[in-house]
Amino acid sequence: MSAVLVIEDDDRIRLSLVLALEDEGYAATGAPTAEEGLAAQRRSPADTVLVDLMLPGIDGFECIRQLRRSDDVPIVVISARDDTHDIVAALEAGADDYLVKPVAVKELTARLRALRRRARVALAAEVPVLAFGDLEISPEAGEVRLRGEPVAVTRTEFQLLCELAEHPGRVLSRQQLLQRVWGYDGGDERLVDVHVGRLRQKIEDGAGAPRRLVTVRGLGYKLQR
Amino acid sequence: MKRAGLRVRVIAGFAAGALALSATMALVSFQVVRQSLLDERERTAVRAAYYDASVVRAGLGTSRDPDVVAVLRTLDTGENRRALLQRDNEWYARQADTGAAVAVPPELQRRAAEGVPSVQRVRADGTPTLVVAVPLSESVVFYEVDSLRELEHTLSVLTVVLTLVAVSTAFLGAGLGWYASRYVLRPLRRVADAAEEIAGGASKYRLDPAAEPDLGRLTTSFNHMVDELSTRLERDRRFAADVSHELRSPLQTLAAAVSVLERRRDQLDDRTATAAGLVSAEVARFQQLVNDLLELSRGDRPAERVPVDLPELAGQVCRERGVDPAIVDAAPGGPWCVDRRLVGQLLGNLLDNARAYGGGAVAVRLRLSDGVGTIEVDDEGPGVSPEDKPLIFDRFVRGRSAGARADTAGTGLGLALVAQHAAAHGGTATVTDRPGGGARFRVDLPGCTP
Repeated sequence: MSAVLVIEDDDRIRLSLVLALEDEGYAATGAPTAEEGLAAQRRSPADTVLVDLMLPGIDGFECIRQLRRSDDVPIVVISARDDTHDIVAALEAGADDYLVKPVAVKELTARLRALRRRARVALAAEVPVLAFGDLEISPEAGEVRLRGEPVAVTRTEFQLLCELAEHPGRVLSRQQLLQRVWGYDGGDERLVDVHVGRLRQKIEDGAGAPRRLVTVRGLGYKLQR
Repeated sequence: MKRAGLRVRVIAGFAAGALALSATMALVSFQVVRQSLLDERERTAVRAAYYDASVVRAGLGTSRDPDVVAVLRTLDTGENRRALLQRDNEWYARQADTGAAVAVPPELQRRAAEGVPSVQRVRADGTPTLVVAVPLSESVVFYEVDSLRELEHTLSVLTVVLTLVAVSTAFLGAGLGWYASRYVLRPLRRVADAAEEIAGGASKYRLDPAAEPDLGRLTTSFNHMVDELSTRLERDRRFAADVSHELRSPLQTLAAAVSVLERRRDQLDDRTATAAGLVSAEVARFQQLVNDLLELSRGDRPAERVPVDLPELAGQVCRERGVDPAIVDAAPGGPWCVDRRLVGQLLGNLLDNARAYGGGAVAVRLRLSDGVGTIEVDDEGPGVSPEDKPLIFDRFVRGRSAGARADTAGTGLGLALVAQHAAAHGGTATVTDRPGGGARFRVDLPGCTP
């Protein structure tokens, strides 16, 4: 049974989400503040964390950053705010997905399933290591190495990288990536852009033009050999 | 009649002023020059006439019965002057042409007969002429008829020159007016530019009050107005965001709680299950209504255009609604440069509308030509009555057409959003009759090629 932690200050929302998720077969627990949520996650780590952005004390953005510091647990934001600014800020802080309230329970569980899926790469069995110059990706081991040094990536970032690595030099559109990594049929393309940005901070050298994960204007992204 | 622009009026004013001034100057100087030339000419003529008269008097005095014509012939009169002598009412001239005597006006003859020398300007044979009368004795008067043709020529040249000067001064005035109006209107153009910038979304743009001291009040009040406006806009935006939050939070509780109820529907008795079903349906509609209202309140945001594979998007929107994607008929072509979210919603709303009022969409056509993307959605329903056509894109207007009382699931905002999303792309949404029955909704989106 998959464990979900719901960090939400509104008692009714928290309670109803916990009830609904339990109905769907999740072991759901609630936390009314970021502090309590972080403590609960340290005590008994959940498999997925749902976070509201407007929280008393430590706010949602900071809560995401602190969770990210110690963990690659999938983080889903559920917020009533739908400003581009908030969405991008939450994703940049380290969230894997962003849902705007009200979210139907069916939709929420679909997102949770998509995030829980392990990176599956068709070539994995035959090719243990995909090499892109000095960037090495081991789908089986779930490892990324840059010049031999391991790079810490989140589960979502890793899957994004694997999808691109599976098609070396080929352009994947944002919609294709949304479909393959997040399981969306027609979702918000900012998800892809922000995750690509986060990945680049980890696998590109400095702030110059990206050499490995390049943007093809009007088409999408590709991983350069 | 359309009032002429400030610019045109300034130019016309400058031109008219310059023309009036130069015309007056020209007229005055013409008069002065003419008068002084005439006076000079008259003095010369009189001097010459007296000299000639003294020669004639001397010639006539030499004999008792002198040959008058011979005496006249001794005069050196040149081409322009003709000498005449009247003695006892008989005319004498150098040649036989006493015809010149006709030019001598009777008034002058009368005064000369009284012994008064005089000068008069007359017009003889169409040329201006000066006649000088010098009485020699009681019965003898010497006349000189002096042609002023040369003087007239000079004056006509002067007229032409002065007219040209006046006209070119007027043009010069117009040019000056053009320059001055441009110069004077420049700060106003800056205000217009600023207004355009702000309308285009640069709400931080302000005018520098120091740049145009003469327009201090205008810049101050302009900046004040923009401040007021952006405060109000910000307040509206905040309000929309607050409403959004306040409405969405309880809806989240409802959505989750309803799903728990739905899951246990078979454990409920019939009445409770029906009530739970109603709550569930209304929560869904309320959710849609809130989303649509928020979308409408964000109407002033411009479209964020990116290249979009529209046939793919249309197919996806169809699949989401359980519509066969095969009804999408897309002409081959590159991606459309549109706001993916807005166009996806627009397509979805048109399909929803077709399902609610037209028995479902039967065709979705996508065409891209000359940068204008056209989306057409056809249904085979009863169509839209002529009186509904102009209203159908308004908010909360639901179809009243024959027998198609609205499916109560709609929010009444779907087509208003279609129109708004089209407008966000600078385009339009219209409805016509589909050939063969039904309605055809058409959306034109300009600027679709990058």
